[in-house]
Amino acid sequence: MAVCSKCAAQLETPLACGACGSLFAPDPEPTPFECLGLTPDFDVDAAEVRRRLLRASRLVHPDFHGASGEQSRAAAERATAALNRAHALVLDPAARADWLVRSLGGPSESQVRSMPQDFLMEVMEWNEALDAARGSAPGSAARVGLEALEASLAERRASVLREVRRLLVPLPAREAPALALARAQLNALRYLANALDQLEALRLDSPSPR
Amino acid sequence: MGFIELNVLNNASSNVALGIDLGTTNSLGAMWKDGRPIVLHPEGSCGYVPSALHFSEQGAVIVGREARELALVDPAHTLFSIKRFMGRGLKDVENDARSVPCPLSETANGVVQFEMRGRKYTPQELSALILMKVKDQACKALGGLEVTKVVVTVPAYFDDAQRQATRDAARIAGLDVLRIVNEPTAASLAYGLDQRKRGTVAVYDLGGGTFDVSILSIEEGVFQVLATNGDTHLGGDDFDRTLVEIARKELAALMRPSALEDRAFLQLLRLAAERCKIELSTDPEAYMHVSLPESGVQWRRKFTRHEYDALTAHLIERTLHSCRRALADAKLAPEQIDEVVLVGGSTRMPSVRSRVEKFFGRKPHCELNPDEVVALGAAVQAHVLMGGTREVLLMDVTPLSLGIETMGGAVSKIIQRNSTIPCQATEGFTTYVDGQNGIDFHVVQGERELATDCRSLGRFKLKGIPALPAGMPRVAVRFHIDANGLLTVTAKEESTGTSARIEIQPMNGLSDGEIESMLNSAYRNAREDFDARRAADLRIEIGTMARATERGLSQAGPALDRETRRDVEDALGAARRSAADARLDAVALQKHRDELERATLPLAALLMDHVAKAALSGKRLDEV
Ligand SMILES: Nc1ncnc2c1ncn2[C@@H]1O[C@H](COP(=O)(O)OP(=O)(O)OP(=O)(O)O)[C@@H](O)[C@H]1O
Ligand SMILES: [Mg+2]
Repeated sequence: MAVCSKCAAQLETPLACGACGSLFAPDPEPTPFECLGLTPDFDVDAAEVRRRLLRASRLVHPDFHGASGEQSRAAAERATAALNRAHALVLDPAARADWLVRSLGGPSESQVRSMPQDFLMEVMEWNEALDAARGSAPGSAARVGLEALEASLAERRASVLREVRRLLVPLPAREAPALALARAQLNALRYLANALDQLEALRLDSPSPR
Repeated sequence: MGFIELNVLNNASSNVALGIDLGTTNSLGAMWKDGRPIVLHPEGSCGYVPSALHFSEQGAVIVGREARELALVDPAHTLFSIKRFMGRGLKDVENDARSVPCPLSETANGVVQFEMRGRKYTPQELSALILMKVKDQACKALGGLEVTKVVVTVPAYFDDAQRQATRDAARIAGLDVLRIVNEPTAASLAYGLDQRKRGTVAVYDLGGGTFDVSILSIEEGVFQVLATNGDTHLGGDDFDRTLVEIARKELAALMRPSALEDRAFLQLLRLAAERCKIELSTDPEAYMHVSLPESGVQWRRKFTRHEYDALTAHLIERTLHSCRRALADAKLAPEQIDEVVLVGGSTRMPSVRSRVEKFFGRKPHCELNPDEVVALGAAVQAHVLMGGTREVLLMDVTPLSLGIETMGGAVSKIIQRNSTIPCQATEGFTTYVDGQNGIDFHVVQGERELATDCRSLGRFKLKGIPALPAGMPRVAVRFHIDANGLLTVTAKEESTGTSARIEIQPMNGLSDGEIESMLNSAYRNAREDFDARRAADLRIEIGTMARATERGLSQAGPALDRETRRDVEDALGAARRSAADARLDAVALQKHRDELERATLPLAALLMDHVAKAALSGKRLDEV
């Protein structure tokens, strides 16, 4: 772990020093895992990530640099933005996996566009169900069926994530074949997330029983 | 309340900062003192400053309580609810403009102007006058101390233009804005500190002109907003308007049509409606009175609470709809909310209380004064910003997604709504033509799929890009939403390290559509949006496939038999034409895309063969 250039204390985040309070603007910008003082891994401890976010926020948040001039305010803005982005990414399994695959030299979504074999048929089935539901009135059979669809998609999402985890834990070597497989799973995950978003929009649109 | 003694402050006014709730109906200042926030008003005055302005014959502008009283005798020269015009163009405020008793116009930048006594005022200027009045009252309460540092609150659902307008108003008032804070967040600060709470809290804030709902998690001084939603054009004013409309219909028999449209008359109706509404909060029935001695009109109408509740149920339903969306974004069910906090004068309506209680399945908190809690929270935040404490950590979110218009007119989202602020995103841009030295892009805010349905924040022009072949320059554009929820955009050309210049043509609420009606219809129009977006995506995909096909044809074309080659070329031509035809929908485009894919299968197989052979001969793939 790095040490502070001002007071030589151990740094928990490259963005600031907990001992002397200095703010840093490292260039190039630290990776999401670095921002939080973590080693890259697919398995993360959400409570630990949150603790680190809060500890680092108390050092870098612009609220605590309001009285100390334009320059340090701007540095605080940047550092906190980096920290917030790191936090969002590290806690979101899909974003986290995407970042890990990229950082290990794995293919991007434009390089590997494939999805698991059985998946395309399923996508077409949901789209049909979604289309039918959109065209029908709230409360109709097509709409009622969405609840079951939503549950099955959520389950599917969980199983894809398990597969992603199997591929990424322990972290594969750089450019390992597992990365392309993980990418295909992540492609499927994007479709699932999209369909789940649309289901949510439909659900919120219909008057709730409350 | 008497004068407040502040020894420490007498010699060091730079250590003091006010929190100001700049409300649609009422505004109020507060500050931190002796370990807690207190509201500030001089002896004899009873608290808040009504956000009303009266324009006297002599050309003076009278602000506050006096202006509110003068509205009764001279409604034609009194303005209310200025906040509803902040950061908006004329087209955005048609509904509100009807109850404005003076002519309205628009500046070249699309800022609304009120014409009173031969002078034009923007909402920013008028809000500045209100802010100055609040500050003066606070300074008087502080025994004449001069204060210039302020934290000003805005509705959480305010977009960039509305926030900007608020900051500009404070600047016009000569105030140094330490921070723009969201009203429900401020309320949660006052509430959370007061009650030493932890858990999940929903703040339901229905004021005079705006509605916000924020879902927060509070623990040990950490106030984290999980999601926010709302409507910047929904508040007590809209409840008044339902009564006004009934009065107008019933008065139509008694008055000339032109008199019914008279702006001063409408103002009077609104005041009468508000009085009746407020009575209905305590009494089971109330009368709305209109008396116009000069035209001999005397009108009185009884409203029962039952009738009133039925007339306004749809407005409350709209607030609950926002609550549902906020909960969905926070990934929580109503029963997972530990506490519900009511803020804003309109939450005194019994119908609001009971429907909110039913929605969340628990009794809302009302022990804090709903008129004061926002200003008190702003004072807490001011205290933090002045370096008073590190115990309180506030993590707020941006209410709306930020996006860039793509080639197809769709929106590519770069920052999602409810992202914790400050936040940032970097987007890469490049050139399409050799030597091109400028790039244009269009930034929008909102949830809709098409840029034309979102609120435009401005068109940006990158200039000073070094002359390079097409696609070579790499311009990194950084979008940063700061702790105020305000956007800044910077750019850098990465291959040469020169910083590109950005010119902005902001749309100061010019002609673009009403953001919340957009968001509302975003859900309703999920289907239309989805199709439009899919069509835009397909056009891009067809373009990419067409280019790849052309490349493939030039490499491996000669190896194809004549018939296959013609098949590929036909499909390619048809797909290209379809991508360029704006009338085609997603279904038709999909057909062309699939047809192109089918036709190119033999070509792809041939190319794969090439690649495989090359790989076997030991070359790296990207050298092929
Ligand atoms: N007893 C009451 N019953 C019903 N409505 C009330 C009552 N008291 C006040 N109101 C309404 O509350 C509104 C003012 O509330 P408040 O002062 O919280 O708004 P504001 O903060 O100025 O507005 P906003 O937060 O929307 O900018 C007005 O529309 C007023 O008519
Ligand atoms: Mg308010």
